[in-house]
Amino acid sequence: MNYDQARWTHDANGESTADQYEPLLSEKNTEEVAVDSPLPDDLTRDSLELPDLSEPELARHYTRLSQMNYGIDSGPYPLGSCTMKYNPKFTEDVAALADAAVHPDRSDRSVQGTLALLDGLQDYLARIGGMDAVSLQPPAGAAGEYTGILVAKAFHEQNGEGEQRDEIIVPDSAHGTNFASAALAGYDVVELPSGDDGRVDLEALEAAASDRTALFMLTNPNTLGLFERDIGEIAGIVHDAGGLLYYDGANLNALLGQARPGDMGFDIMHYNVHKTFATPHGGGGPGAGPVGVTERLAEFLPAPRVRERDGGKEFELFDPENTVGKVHGFEGNWLVLVKTYAYIARLGDEGLRDASAKAVLNANYLASQIDYDIPFGPFHHEFVASAGDQDAADVAKRMLDYGVHPPTTKWPEIVPEALMTEPTEIEGKETLDQLADAFNSVASEDDETLESAPNRTTARRIDQTSAARNLRLSWHALEEEE
Amino acid sequence: MSGRNERGSPYAPHTAAETDAMLSAVGVEGVGDLFDIPEQVAFDGEFGIESRSEREAERHVAGLLARNDDLTEFLGRGHYEHYVPSLVDHISARSEFLTSYTQYQPEITQGFLQALFEYQSMLVELTGLEIVNASMYDHATALAEAALLAARVRQTSGDRVLVPEYLLDARRDVLENYTDGAGLSVETYATDDGNVDPDALAETIDDDAVLVYAENPTALGTVEENLDAVGRLADNHDALFCLGSDPVALSVLQEPESVGADVVVGDAAALGLPTAYGMGLGLFACRDDFVRQVPGRLVGASEDDADRRAYTLTLQTREQHIRRERATSNICTNQAWVALRTAIHAAYLGPGGLVDLANDCVTLAADLADRLDAVKGVQAPVHDRHHFREFVAHTDQPAVAIAEDLEAEGFAVHAVGEHHVQVCITDANEHAADALVAAFEEVA
Amino acid sequence: MSFDVPDDRKYLESHEWVAVTDGTAKLGITDFAQDELGDVVFVELPGEGDDLTAGEEFGVVESIKAVSDLYSPVSGTVVGVNDALADQPELVNEDPFGDGWMVELELDDEGELDDLLSADEYGDQIA
Repeated sequence: MNYDQARWTHDANGESTADQYEPLLSEKNTEEVAVDSPLPDDLTRDSLELPDLSEPELARHYTRLSQMNYGIDSGPYPLGSCTMKYNPKFTEDVAALADAAVHPDRSDRSVQGTLALLDGLQDYLARIGGMDAVSLQPPAGAAGEYTGILVAKAFHEQNGEGEQRDEIIVPDSAHGTNFASAALAGYDVVELPSGDDGRVDLEALEAAASDRTALFMLTNPNTLGLFERDIGEIAGIVHDAGGLLYYDGANLNALLGQARPGDMGFDIMHYNVHKTFATPHGGGGPGAGPVGVTERLAEFLPAPRVRERDGGKEFELFDPENTVGKVHGFEGNWLVLVKTYAYIARLGDEGLRDASAKAVLNANYLASQIDYDIPFGPFHHEFVASAGDQDAADVAKRMLDYGVHPPTTKWPEIVPEALMTEPTEIEGKETLDQLADAFNSVASEDDETLESAPNRTTARRIDQTSAARNLRLSWHALEEEE
Repeated sequence: MSGRNERGSPYAPHTAAETDAMLSAVGVEGVGDLFDIPEQVAFDGEFGIESRSEREAERHVAGLLARNDDLTEFLGRGHYEHYVPSLVDHISARSEFLTSYTQYQPEITQGFLQALFEYQSMLVELTGLEIVNASMYDHATALAEAALLAARVRQTSGDRVLVPEYLLDARRDVLENYTDGAGLSVETYATDDGNVDPDALAETIDDDAVLVYAENPTALGTVEENLDAVGRLADNHDALFCLGSDPVALSVLQEPESVGADVVVGDAAALGLPTAYGMGLGLFACRDDFVRQVPGRLVGASEDDADRRAYTLTLQTREQHIRRERATSNICTNQAWVALRTAIHAAYLGPGGLVDLANDCVTLAADLADRLDAVKGVQAPVHDRHHFREFVAHTDQPAVAIAEDLEAEGFAVHAVGEHHVQVCITDANEHAADALVAAFEEVA
Repeated sequence: MSFDVPDDRKYLESHEWVAVTDGTAKLGITDFAQDELGDVVFVELPGEGDDLTAGEEFGVVESIKAVSDLYSPVSGTVVGVNDALADQPELVNEDPFGDGWMVELELDDEGELDDLLSADEYGDQIA
């Protein structure tokens, strides 16, 4: 397959601006208007200088920008740990319904539809995770982690162990957010080294767990795609030490209908809805990070939650008895929650189970077709190949030239020059073969070819050092430079 | 029947023959053989969730949502609606934007990076501060991050975060939740007639204050008249001054930089998003001295191998995926797509359109307050200040009863005190102002 | 790949060097360290008058992909800081043992130097 990304260019030809791709809005037309307001002058600004373009000009500007961007609808996107899968279009339509556009301060009785959907989603997620109660408020996975940590803290405080339990254990291969969320909540982070097989080392966990342990945060399957087979023993060690067990839902797409965090002994979990339930990533967000807990922790969840009233005929908001309070100013990313609900309602049991089955099949099939070494297994929805003597970052840049988005690179560090690959269930055999061809072609190329890539994307290799040494974070900064 | 996944995921394209070919390439008999899950934790039950066709799923969700009453909302208090031009929906729905991931491969995602760079730039102009990040979740979480930034950048000790009496409960709750781990304490300073009271603040503030927060417009809809004094007081005690606002208000109100603000937070989704049950866009701007302490993603300009200007995420060493427990924040996923929508909306309006829209927010609120004041049983506004979009009105009847009765007439307003309602008017609901006044005449 | 390891100074296992002349010591990071980090984009250093303790952190060096703490090989008071690094962090890459120096200390105890690695020992460590 041949590929060239759109590349609009605008060369300065001696003008004062730099050579570039699509010019900035500010370089197209800017107006400075005097601010004349009904307010007294001393309460207003004097003037405002911003781009001033017609609607057709803007439509072209942004259409060109979109052409210089790559989404899951553009081609394969096997970013490990990110679960880039197709975002069904109908979910956009239901999120855009006029009935979905309500203000958060509406009375409960006037938004029974919104509350019914939220109640239904709490219920769906509880069933899928094997949890007893769910909060939909956290606006992203990291916020979900933070919420879960607050819940654990409240639990330990209620038991009079709030001060004593000041540590959170995190495997060295965990997502960076685990460490950051724990630190944000004021905990000391105890980093747990992985065992030789890429899984939790039970002896190391025994040694780390103590009466200071508040929480152990674990992803399962882990970031190598391996199922933590000793999860029963892990839960035992953590619980015997009086700690709680937290499930990072980043890899839940591997397990739908096969295993549930609640059944594995996890007390708290978050769901990454744009990973597991196909809500769009939107170029970095918005996401949603609902948190599920077991019965004994339900009283600590953020306020408000939704429950049935009057035998299920009506719904109401309520504050859990010993709530940790709020982690978002309103009720989280509502539109994302609508799309999540719609996706689950579309797939149901059979669809969800099949999504995981096909995701695991695809990862295994793709792995069987590529030449790079894959040191750890058996893996599930993703695998981590090693680029060996090649630089994984250069491999990624070169893969762009083959019309595919590269895998996640250089992480987890347990695999040298890691290529963390997650094709998801949405690719068929033909596309996986195309992806394998891209991997294998790059695997046989020399360093010079890799270092000069990419060639077929809008921009050629971008100078990260210049960006960081000479910070230009707005067009004002660019103008100062010139 | 297509033979394609009749009972499976509608978005997995495998035919039975393809599945078989893939299984044999892997060397297993069935997909079940690929799962390495011990029996004691394997799930063999059912979720009990029905599978539906797209049409059935669409109708099911639409049917649920149709249970919402069709009310004309005169609601604000932190979440505002302005008419969103069609261009915003159409452009932001382009799947190259909507279905893309974070721009960790900048060469193939120049379009989104440039749009975010333009978002940052427009907010730099509106705030007067040099640094704007590529978004936080919402106003409340952005405020919490401002307090954490203040604690990090301040060289001397201190743990007090001073907030005005009018701060919304939800924002305060989030602020406390996010700053508890850092040992900060949130304390309230008194206000006077809906504005900060500089004398009260002067009595409260000391050298232990790390951050002083105020809003413009305030959560009560008033326009602040004493921000210079707040800025000076904060400065005198080496505390940061954080101002809460939004891009529409910033188009006419005093530029934050000019009153000494060090950080600006707010909900930028006042442009770009319709009312969405509180989904927002956390605006975060600060002075360039703090650039290495900024939470969240930053888009910067650089050059590529073809010597053209190109954009990339930069200073990523601040972020959790590199700095882990020492990151400036735990945020990863943000509200990038909402920032794209906000940027398109701001560009659509242009400077003239933004100033006109903001001026309308002043005159519409003043006019509606005048008209409600003429209704028997209502005195408006309660605060003798200028207002932006919204105001508090006194009602002789209990406010809760007024709000309920108005709801029966098809309108939503806030009941904010025993005899206080709050009413918000913008270009999105001004067409119903006559009807609202008539309804007040019925129920007040 | 071979790296410079000048023998006129002492080293820490964590890749910092110290060079002493007339009771004042200059600190920096080694050629090996700058190569591992890649392009240095920012160096965070203490202020003049700050006291450093042997083995403890005194600053941070950032490249585009990593952040490393800087550990002081010796104890002492900061009497000079390489201000040029603020605008030219690339000096750490270009001349790690020369213009890329970081801070200058007045030593508390020259005896601490005996606990450090010699050029040969450090060279073996990175070989």
